[in-house]
Amino acid sequence: MGFLSINLQILFSGLAVGAVYSLVALGFVLIIRATNVVNFAQGDFAMLGAFAMMTMLTALSLPYWLSFLLALAAMTVFGVLFNYGVYYPLRNRSFLPVIISTLGASIFMQNTVLAIFGPQAQPLEKVFKASGFEVGGVFLDSQYLVILAVAVLAVAFQYFLFERTLLGKKLQATSQDKDMARLLGIPVAWMIAITFIYSATLGGLAGILVGPVLFVSIGMGSVIALKAFSATIIGGFGDVAGAIVGGLLLGVVENFAGAYISVAYKDAFAFLLLFLFLLIRPQGIFGEKISEKA
Amino acid sequence: MTQGAASIEPAGVRVAAALPVRFIGLSILALALPAIPFLFPVNSYVVNIFMQAATYGIAVLGMTIVLGYTGQINLAQAAFFGLGAYAVALGTVTLGLSFWVSLLLGIGVASLAGLVLGLTTLRLGGHYLAMITISFQQIFDLVMVNWTAVTRGPDGVPGIARPSLFGHHLADDKAYLVFCIAVLYAAIGLVWYLPRTRLGRAMQAIRENEMAAEVTGIKTLVVKVIAFILCAGLAGIGGALYAAGFAYVSPDNFSFKVSIDFLTMALLGGAQSPFGSTLGTALLILLPEWLRFLKEIYLAAYGIAVILIMVFMPEGIWGIGKTAWQKIRKPRTAKMGAVAPLDLDIPVEGQAPALHIEGIHKHFGGVSAVDGVDIAVTRGTVHALIGPNGSGKTTMLNVLNGIYKPTAGRVLVDGQDVTHDAPHVRAGHGMGRTFQNIRLFPNLSVLENVMVGAQRQHNPIGRSDAALRARAMSALAFVGMPDKAHMLAKNLPYGHQRLVEIARALAGHPKLLLLDEPAAGLNQTEKHELADLLKRLRGHGVTIFLIEHDMGLIEQVSDRISVLNFGRKIAEGAPAEVLRHPGVIAAYLGENVVAAA
Amino acid sequence: MFGKIAVSWVALALAAVSINANAADPVRIGLVSEITGPNAEAGANTVNGAKLAVEEVNKAGGVLGSPLELKIEDNQSTNPGSVLAVSKLGSEGNIAALIAPVRSTQVQATAPTIAKLGLPTMIGGSDYGLTHSGHAWLFRARPNDAYSAKVIVDYGVNTLKKKKWAIIFSTDTFGTGGKNMLVDELKALGITPVLLQGYTNNTQDFTPVVLAVKQSGADIVSSYTPFSTDAAILATQLRQLGVNLPWIGSATLASDSTIRLAKEALHDTYSVSDFFADASPESQAYAKKYKQTFGRDADFYSSWAYDAVHILALAMNRAKSTKPDAVRKEILAIRGHKGAEGIYNFDKNGDGLHGYNIVKNEKGKIVFIKHTAFTPKE
Repeated sequence: MGFLSINLQILFSGLAVGAVYSLVALGFVLIIRATNVVNFAQGDFAMLGAFAMMTMLTALSLPYWLSFLLALAAMTVFGVLFNYGVYYPLRNRSFLPVIISTLGASIFMQNTVLAIFGPQAQPLEKVFKASGFEVGGVFLDSQYLVILAVAVLAVAFQYFLFERTLLGKKLQATSQDKDMARLLGIPVAWMIAITFIYSATLGGLAGILVGPVLFVSIGMGSVIALKAFSATIIGGFGDVAGAIVGGLLLGVVENFAGAYISVAYKDAFAFLLLFLFLLIRPQGIFGEKISEKA
Repeated sequence: MTQGAASIEPAGVRVAAALPVRFIGLSILALALPAIPFLFPVNSYVVNIFMQAATYGIAVLGMTIVLGYTGQINLAQAAFFGLGAYAVALGTVTLGLSFWVSLLLGIGVASLAGLVLGLTTLRLGGHYLAMITISFQQIFDLVMVNWTAVTRGPDGVPGIARPSLFGHHLADDKAYLVFCIAVLYAAIGLVWYLPRTRLGRAMQAIRENEMAAEVTGIKTLVVKVIAFILCAGLAGIGGALYAAGFAYVSPDNFSFKVSIDFLTMALLGGAQSPFGSTLGTALLILLPEWLRFLKEIYLAAYGIAVILIMVFMPEGIWGIGKTAWQKIRKPRTAKMGAVAPLDLDIPVEGQAPALHIEGIHKHFGGVSAVDGVDIAVTRGTVHALIGPNGSGKTTMLNVLNGIYKPTAGRVLVDGQDVTHDAPHVRAGHGMGRTFQNIRLFPNLSVLENVMVGAQRQHNPIGRSDAALRARAMSALAFVGMPDKAHMLAKNLPYGHQRLVEIARALAGHPKLLLLDEPAAGLNQTEKHELADLLKRLRGHGVTIFLIEHDMGLIEQVSDRISVLNFGRKIAEGAPAEVLRHPGVIAAYLGENVVAAA
Repeated sequence: MFGKIAVSWVALALAAVSINANAADPVRIGLVSEITGPNAEAGANTVNGAKLAVEEVNKAGGVLGSPLELKIEDNQSTNPGSVLAVSKLGSEGNIAALIAPVRSTQVQATAPTIAKLGLPTMIGGSDYGLTHSGHAWLFRARPNDAYSAKVIVDYGVNTLKKKKWAIIFSTDTFGTGGKNMLVDELKALGITPVLLQGYTNNTQDFTPVVLAVKQSGADIVSSYTPFSTDAAILATQLRQLGVNLPWIGSATLASDSTIRLAKEALHDTYSVSDFFADASPESQAYAKKYKQTFGRDADFYSSWAYDAVHILALAMNRAKSTKPDAVRKEILAIRGHKGAEGIYNFDKNGDGLHGYNIVKNEKGKIVFIKHTAFTPKE
């Protein structure tokens, strides 16, 4: 293959998988900004979304678009459950119980799915039956194209929601200063619930999109979650634009590293980058310096 | 278990009679346990399970130190465990070394890894530390699986031999189990004793309130690194014993999932107690065996259980037991033996001012919180810093303390430049501090809180436990609270907590005391007592630099006042002049009021 | 009259005693399989195959007059789980023989434990080294990878006429062993592979592997992939990145679970297969019975276990004992035993089968291409 076309191929698939990381990271960052909670179960929302989609499609044999909408609806329910079951009881405690609690939620979600569906990985239908087309030696798989398109739409939707609607302003206010928001009459608990619902749905969407590529399995969310964390840190902890850029960057760097340095250690690059950023520039590319008030 | 110090009476008289009874009971249980496999017929599979529990238990004790005592999250424990295990596996099978040499190698490598992770806590804590430990764990996993030339990859290393102890080859599973249990007991003993030491107290202080610990004189980074080294070392020992016991290792045994298992075992039993951790380990290894028929439900319940534990019993099963026990027995009262008066005298060392603030600027982004301030504080005086809210007072104190580095300028204590010293180093020079929002160590006893203050470097008392205790009691007596020594700090009313905080600072024999709104939240009586206390301190030659809003208190105790507004000094002098200075009044009440007056 | 009564009582008593003696302890074979974990489907097939054989053995009179029984232990699809399962079976004390898991890496892990136990063990792992490292107790009910590699290379070079080989392999014993065999066979024909690409088992993402294949300019892909899920993801992602080269893979490529996962992505791929339903009357009968009993197609995961049970029963009956040394001797002496996988002739290393089929996936249906047999060196 020509030099240009192989590198464009690597770039393309890197962007596609990076877009998945970005979607998960986005949901992750929203929760952090609203509640200061690092949700270690974020990747499992993707897993749940994929399983929900699979159930609608295969067990209930519903058409794709209906299954899609129902799966997203299911994710909103999970978001509510998560908010009230995991976050709410610990909302006033220090970070340690909350981290551990989200880890527990992750274990619970994975094992419940295991009990219902069994351990075997399952395939998931792509959005379009067509496999894709080739342009100049670069094969553009249809699912990868869908992932990129949806990611762009999701970001646009998010921008519109947060910057141009009143609800969005209220959500921003809550994330910046809970107490002040409360004093202004914003129903903070409800805003936080909405944030969880939105993040869960975003995560579920990522799972539905990437399921056909990586297959639907119980552990599919864990790896994506760790990459999404890395993306968040690289982009800037707590920064929305950072999550998006971080995810895309990570996907591309990973793919190039896998192609040119080492296939076996491809995953290690995400963790190495995380390590290095945490040590040298923990505020990431876009974030602000973090310090504790005395 | 008993908290903190034993008796403060003259040596030789034990306080609690409860201690020996519990101790004997536990000892009997402890000795009986390893005898069971020899007395009753158990098949080797069961012995195997117990051996796994024992070796895991040793690793979980490491979590007690780093998480339970020091409050640092560690999700890489399985990696440390794996380093010990692979050291023995590769050492004995590939390199032909003896088990004992490989064991030492394993402990060394694991401890080194612990050192590296501990050092990352310099920059990070909380969520970031969790992520760094996770990434370390994942990288370890990837290396173990992929570096096949060295580690044999996913196939693992089979055929690991058992060690020989004093000429006795431990091929028999039961004999090996006894060996593992012996090591476990030794580890429990070590971890149990740790909180009673200087180091252990320092660890707990960090857990309770890291900033206060740093400011009080604890080298927080060093202590955290030591915690990680101990934690990793214990995990390495556990892993080494596991490898020789099970005779086979593969990367599957040491994955992130296993790190979570270690964490859960510590939490379930009670992370802050070695007995709790061991209990948690035993439960979580034996339960799945007994509940095999409930396999799927068990795994899902596992996850919920973790959440429920965090919500309802954060101190684990052992913690519940302990709380119940403490409700039954009478609270301990401190028996008052002879308490020496508090020695606060400061040798006079020169003519330099006790504190010299030289041209300090502190900018945050575009905001100048402190914009070029010079203050000289005379030795043995009370110097107050006042100003309206937002004028930069607390920022100034934080700069003096070392919590912030100034953008420009110098801080000199007794002529010595401390501008770039960490807070604990300044504490070592004799700088003490209290905080606007009281920062005690809530779950430690009052006595332990104050002992931490006495632990600062270069404190001119002995290093022994007895010396620290004596100094702490003296400090408590000075502020009028010796009878509260064994109460938990969080159970005290606000005013008393404030006094304990001052006692903690005094236990460090400070030359210079920085007080941030010490009268905040006190009622009139308490304020009078505070004013008396401050005057007594001044009488002993301690220099006091305080921020206050209560003008009455300031007028009573201050020798000199500096006034800040918008980060600049606008007035300085004796209380009488400064408090009537028109510029000062304008700053507080607004220009129009002054004009109208 | 009393005499008659007495005699009948004695007869009854004798009969009772002899019935009890017959209803003596069953002969137990321990079976370690992947009941839970990511390979549970393959593991279930293995158990099914074994159970079918046990039923048949017992219908034909059992082993040494006693019923044959399976004691099944779950290894959770992991190596440590396998070691634990074997030691659990061993510690029960009344197991006469073992059936080890089908994964070479798991057999490798448990080999020392099995050696200590000294029990005849039937294995399904195909890594060559398993029977060539001096282990006295491992007997293989499948052909090993020296043969599969020969067959793959022969077909790819001589029939498909491809010279630029990419080899994808898992980094465990099975994959690495297979890769080494392929490299040797290609070398004998003067060919150096253009790509040797290892991957870790249970990888979720094969994109870098596929990209490496694309970059290498290969015109044929060969692979040793032990796990169905990995094979399926690899197939899917090969197609998603536009790679449509001819592909000859290890047996997993043609297994039921892989095909159900990968669907169209596996169309037109070749694989070596030790089990093929239409290969012989025995395999046909087996495939039919399996489909009737379990409602699924039989594949090599079940057929080898089926054969393993029959072989053990045969050896024990011939040895007239369950003593390990005697059974061992009889297994090695088996010649011409017609199993579902083929005709067993055990060589002195413990390998029972010496040949492989090439099959092709034609729109989801496995079609036989050819069989190559080798004579074992005595």
